[in-house]
Parts: sequence; C-alpha cells; structure tokens
Amino acid sequence: MKFRILLANCLFALLVWAAFWVLVTLITVGLGLTGRLTQSAWEVAAQLPRWYALFFGVSLIHEYLPLYVAHGRTRRQFGVEGALTLILFAPFLAALLVISYQLESVLYGLAGWPHVLERAHMFTEPTQVPLVFTEYLIEALAWSTAGAFMGAAFYRFRGGGLLSIPVGVLLIAFAHSAMGVEPWGPFLLAWLRVLSRVVFDLPDSPLMPLLGTVGVLVVGLLLTWAIIRDMPLRNQAS
Amino acid sequence: MRIEVEDLVLRYGDVTALDGITLTLEEGKIYGLLGRNGSGKTSLLSVLAAFRKPTAGRVRIDGQPVFENGRVTSRISLIRDVGETVNIGTGEEALSYAEALRPNWDGEYARSLAELFKIDLKKSVKNMSKGQRSAMGIIVGLASRAPLTMFDEAYLGLDAPARQVFYDQVLADYLAHPRTIIMSTHLIDEVSGLFEEVVIIHKGRVLAHEEKDELLAKGTSVTGPAAAVDAFTAGMTVLGSRSLGPTKSVTVYGELDDARRRKAAESGLELGPVDLQDLFIHLTAEDGAAR
Repeated sequence: MKFRILLANCLFALLVWAAFWVLVTLITVGLGLTGRLTQSAWEVAAQLPRWYALFFGVSLIHEYLPLYVAHGRTRRQFGVEGALTLILFAPFLAALLVISYQLESVLYGLAGWPHVLERAHMFTEPTQVPLVFTEYLIEALAWSTAGAFMGAAFYRFRGGGLLSIPVGVLLIAFAHSAMGVEPWGPFLLAWLRVLSRVVFDLPDSPLMPLLGTVGVLVVGLLLTWAIIRDMPLRNQAS
Repeated sequence: MRIEVEDLVLRYGDVTALDGITLTLEEGKIYGLLGRNGSGKTSLLSVLAAFRKPTAGRVRIDGQPVFENGRVTSRISLIRDVGETVNIGTGEEALSYAEALRPNWDGEYARSLAELFKIDLKKSVKNMSKGQRSAMGIIVGLASRAPLTMFDEAYLGLDAPARQVFYDQVLADYLAHPRTIIMSTHLIDEVSGLFEEVVIIHKGRVLAHEEKDELLAKGTSVTGPAAAVDAFTAGMTVLGSRSLGPTKSVTVYGELDDARRRKAAESGLELGPVDLQDLFIHLTAEDGAAR
C-alpha cells in the first residue's frame, strides 16, 4: 500500500489532536472563568504542533527508514516516499490548526472573551482561514524537514548529530522570516540576545513565503538525502 | 537465490570487520553461518541484505549487484536481534507493514505463527519481552517468504521450547517453499541438524565452507595410548588434545584415507566422529585458528 506511513501518522495525529484539543479547551475555559484569558489560547498551544512536526520528521528517518530498508526497499525508494509523506502530512497538520482556531473562535464568541493575537502572524484574525492554513503549512513543512535532517544526522553520526541542530534551527528560522514572523521566538530562545542580532534581510514580497518555504524544503531534503543515500542500518538497537 | 561474494571488505573506521571474503552459495539450501563474537557474521549478512555498503569488493545475488537495487533487495529478508522490522507500534501494525512491503507475504501463516509463539498482536512490540520480540522477528522473517531469508541470532531470548518451534517451522516452511536460508547462530548443537552447508568465518575471513557432512568427516577424534596417538597423529593437523592418565584423545582435522584407518586399527587406536560444535570450537580457538 502506498503512503502507509502517511495514513498511519494522520490517524495517530488526529487522535493526539483530539486529546490536545480537549486539554486546551479545558484550560481556556478555566482561564476564561477566572478572568485571566487575554489572548487566543491556540496561539500559545500551537507551539506543540510545531514540535510534533519536528519529531514526525525525526521518526521518518529514525523509525521508518530502517523498517523500509529491512523490508527490501532501497534508500532511494524510501527517500521519494518519505519526502512525499512529509509534504502531504504538513497540510494535514495545518488543517487541524485551522479547525482548532475556528472552534476556538466559536467558543470565544459564545463566552464573549477577546479573541486577540499577541504575536505577529501572516493573519491578523484567527478566522482568516487561508492565511492561518498557509502559516501553519509553512511551519509544519519547515519543522518536519528540519526534523528529518536532524534525525538522519543523529541516526548516522550519533553524537555528531549535534552539529546538525544549528542547521536545523536556521532552516526553521529562515522559513519563519520568509513569512514575516519572529524567526527565533518558537525555539524558546528569545532570551538569547545574540540571536536577536541575526536577522534575515529578505525582500518584502508576497512571493517570499512561497519561495522561502520551497527553498527550505529543497535544501533540507537535499541535506537529508546526502546523509541517508548510503547510510548503513545500525547493528545495535539504539 | 545464488550468492557470489568476491574480495569483500568492510571496515568500521580503523576496524576491519570483513577482510577479503570470497564465497559462493548456491540457491535452495539451508546454510549455517558460524563464527565467534566479532568474527564478522552480522557484517556479512548486513552487506548481503544491503543494510550496509561494502568498503570494497563485489556482492552479486542472482548475478545482480545488491546495494540500492530494489529488484534484488525486495527478495531478501534479514531478521536481526536489532528488530528494525518489528519495532513499530503493535504486533498488528508490524505485520501490516510487512504485508504492505513484502511481495510474497503470507498473512495467514503469520497469524498461525503468532498463535504458535503465543504472541498478543495487540500489544506494543517495544513493550513485549525479549523472547516475544524475537518471535515477532521470526514471524516476519518466515511469513515474508523471501527467496533469500537470513536469520542473525534470531532466537535470542526464546526459551528452549520456543526455539524448537522455530527450528521445526524453518524446516517445514523450507520444505513447503524451498528457498535459500542462512542462519547465523551460536547454538550450534541445536541448529546443526538443519544445515546442509556450513560457512565458518573467523576474524573477517572464511575459515571453512563445506557441505556439513564433508566438514564433519574431516574432524576425527583419535583415542588410545598416548605414545601410539602421538605417533599416529605426527604430521597431521591437530586441533586439540586431552589426556587422562596414559590415555590420550586428540582431535585431528583432515580426511583419513583407508590406509590411515587401517593403521589406526593396527595401533589399537579408536577413531570417532567430532560434532560440529566441537569442530567449530577447535577450528576457531585462538591458538588453533586458520589451519
């Protein structure tokens, strides 16, 4: 069956999302009832789907590549299916976030709470579906691509994979900059002042998010391919 | 599937795991791959299954190169203790991936094996016991019905009855669906009954590759008075010796012709067979290797 990994991960992500949605909603209601709700809860909660996308990318290489090679697939065959899986999984994650914002909007409207965004986004209102979808699609693509690259580096080079982290962070930060949002914030490293001095001086063009995303995707996948194209399977369980 | 290996070298950094192996294995037999820890068994099997790219040399299966050749690798199954074919979700999920990826997959047989090994397929494989995970690997390896099926210490963690089930199933399925099977093992006495040919590798080189019966025929124990044994075995390849009072028992390697056998009888010496495990131990002993 084609896209077995994609189907399995979509199903699993749906279950995780349902549980996470319940949790976020409970917290939102709790904060709302105590008068401490000042912004969109999903704007904060969206941090988790980013990391989820990253670890999905890691698992593609760490779990599925050995499985596929051990079942007689070549690395090239896996590379093609893995890349398509990664590209198709991102809109699924983005769609879940769109649904989350839409449901949140209904809840905030019913309760009369202020549905306010505190960070800069491609969208100015959580109900701007196409822009919400586009922003989280770009994020999911960038984070999962970086995850695949770092997963490959850690699988092949073990401790040497640490060197891949700055590259992965740069890929994600570049994609964020291309969207015109804060590049470093999502890493919880904003306190590291040195990062605030690193800026991507990108042209202010409506095509920039598309070009930036394609660039990150192509560079990230090529870097990953460079690592896995002749990567041996480990002799011992990790 | 016919396997041809020529001058195969595999290095891990400064360590040479395979040091110029040349080997041909004809299709449709059960091979025993024997070697001490670190001898290169897993490395050899990993190269044959395209898990690793060789450093140098040539590997051809049915006349075609193996590494990154999907037409060949789709017909090869290597089951290792690492568990890369099964460590994915529940037992059911592991079997569903095998079904999706293996062209000759027999799902009914897989489920019958799961019952035989008493595996709860709803359980996460990573939460299974060591023996159950091994059984999962064996199920995937056998039900894949790959023309080249290899088991690398696949029995680890299985108790004795489960190991016997494994051996019985290997033989039964091989007879029903003939293919090339290679089994790497340390439990030589237990498995040797299955082998048609034996390959012994030592320090990354092929030490012996023969029909099992021919190999066993080359090992002989010579027992009798110490002086007579020493005289008889002078000039022969002695693998090991033991003495008890005036009696000495020596294991020699090499075929004994009729003349030699007559001479032994005239000298009052008793000639006996050597089992595969003893022969292996003697052949790969550090001070007795590479004879």
